[in-house]
Formats: sequence, C-alpha cells, structure tokens
Amino acid sequence: MNPEPFLQLDRVIHEKGRLAIMSMLAASAELSFTELRDALEMTDGNLTTHVRTLQETGYVSVAKSYQRNRRLTTLSMTAAGRRAFAEYVSLLERIIRQARPK
Amino acid sequence: MEHHAAAEHLEVIRTLMERTALYRRTLAPIMLYVGSVGTLAGAGGVALGLESLPAFGAWWLAAAVLALAGAFVIARRQALRDGEPFWSPPTLRVTQAMVPPLAAGFILSLVTVLATAPGEWRSLFVIPNALFYGCAVHAAGFFMPRGMKLFGWLIIGITGVTVLLAAWVAPTPGARFHHAFMGALFGLLHLAYGIYLYVTEPRERSA
Repeated sequence: MNPEPFLQLDRVIHEKGRLAIMSMLAASAELSFTELRDALEMTDGNLTTHVRTLQETGYVSVAKSYQRNRRLTTLSMTAAGRRAFAEYVSLLERIIRQARPK
Repeated sequence: MEHHAAAEHLEVIRTLMERTALYRRTLAPIMLYVGSVGTLAGAGGVALGLESLPAFGAWWLAAAVLALAGAFVIARRQALRDGEPFWSPPTLRVTQAMVPPLAAGFILSLVTVLATAPGEWRSLFVIPNALFYGCAVHAAGFFMPRGMKLFGWLIIGITGVTVLLAAWVAPTPGARFHHAFMGALFGLLHLAYGIYLYVTEPRERSA
C-alpha cells in the first residue's frame, strides 16, 4: 500500500480533539464555546488550547460578543479551514480505497 | 493498519457531524409543560362541555397558543442560561420542518371554525389537527434525537385507531369525548413522554 496519502494528512486536523472540533464546525455555521465544550466533554482549558491552534493555523475564527451582559464566544470554520477539512476527508477516503482488495 | 485508523477517523467525523446537526435543546420540560396544558385543557373542556364548533375551536386554539408560547419561553431560557444563540442552525431546521404541517392544521381549524359548521362536525377539527400534529412531530424527528419520529407515529397511530373505534362504537361522539381525546393526545401522551425523558436523560452538568 502506498503510504504517501497517510503522510499527507494535515497534522493540525489529525489530532483527536481538533478533529472533533473541526467535524462539529463543518456541520454547523457557528457554534458557541459552551456548546462545543459540552458536546465534546472537554475542559475549558483543553478546548481553548485546541481552538487557539486552529485559530493560529487560520482554520477557525472566534467571535466574542455580549448577550444580556454575558460573554458569548462563538466559533466558525474559515474558508481555509473548510478547504483543509475537505482535503483531509478525501485523503482518508483515498487511504481506505487503496486498502480495498482489487 | 493506516486504513483502519482512516476508517475510524471517518466514522468519528460522521458521528460528530450528525450530532451537531441535531436539535439538543432540553425536551423534557417542554414536553411536561405542553402535556400539562393539554391535560388541563382536556379536563376543562370536559367539565365545561363546550359543544359548539366555534367554542370548541377557540378553546383548543387558545390552548395551542399557550403551549407554543410556553415552549418558546422554556427553550429561550435554556439558550440564555447556556449562553447559546436561540436561532441555532438545528433550531431553524426543526422549526422549518414543523411549520408546514402545523400551518396546514391551523388553516383547516380556522376554516372549520369560521364556516359556522354544526357542533357535530367537531371531528373535522379534531382528526386533521391530530394527524397534522403527528406529521409535524415526525418531520421534526429528522433533526432531533430520542425517538421523536416514533412519537410522531404514535400520535398518528392512536388517532387512526381512535377514529376507527369511534366510527364503529359511536359514529357521532359527543363534545366530552372530543375534549377527552384531545386532552389524552395533547396532554397525557406528552406528559408520559416528558416523564420518560426526565427518567432517561443524562443529568445536565451544573454551570
């Protein structure tokens, strides 16, 4: 089997926590920090670290606002993030196709 | 080995994307509230014995408005408490799925009530409303967890069986029967589902 596609996998997305964040953001226009944290059962610190990495790579954008005097942090996937995620998924599919007996 | 890891990753992605698209706002209190309103409206209707179609229709339309408004307030409070936007994409999808059958039921109800049909025609109000509501719940079930589609089918099934039995036993049932049926369907059934959700739902983490 050609190992090349596996080596091409985006290491930023490939990490389990970040993959989960990207998967959820890919299915929704935007999600709140609380919603992501509760759904993924992550701690605030863990989620913040992963989000910062994704933000620095340009895959995720973070918006802060106030709703009824409460701070609301919402996350959404950038166009670059969407492209990188689509590429990541297609690489996974290629790996699986290669492994199938011909 | 890599292809197993790839398959697992794809499965994780698929599961998370599906879960994100689901409406997860708390259902149990909404069901309990709607069930309480329905049960009280049913009991009130039986006690008052409202027979004329306009009175019957107005009574149940008022109960529906009360139930919808209360459900909205409960969902809104939960969204505020958790610092989430109320009109999240899953909320929009559920609303869009429910609106057409509910609107159809509402229009038909209005026509029936305004047409000054005789009181014996109450079935024309009760049966389509129950069936349209079942369709609305089933449609919402495509974007909601916890057996909502099954709940929709249950409403449709109970309505169908009751109509068949009523046609056989009492072809022209009285107003009290109609109130009792509406109370059981929109009240007791929702209460039972709400209790089931409360018992089986994982407890929310405290803020």
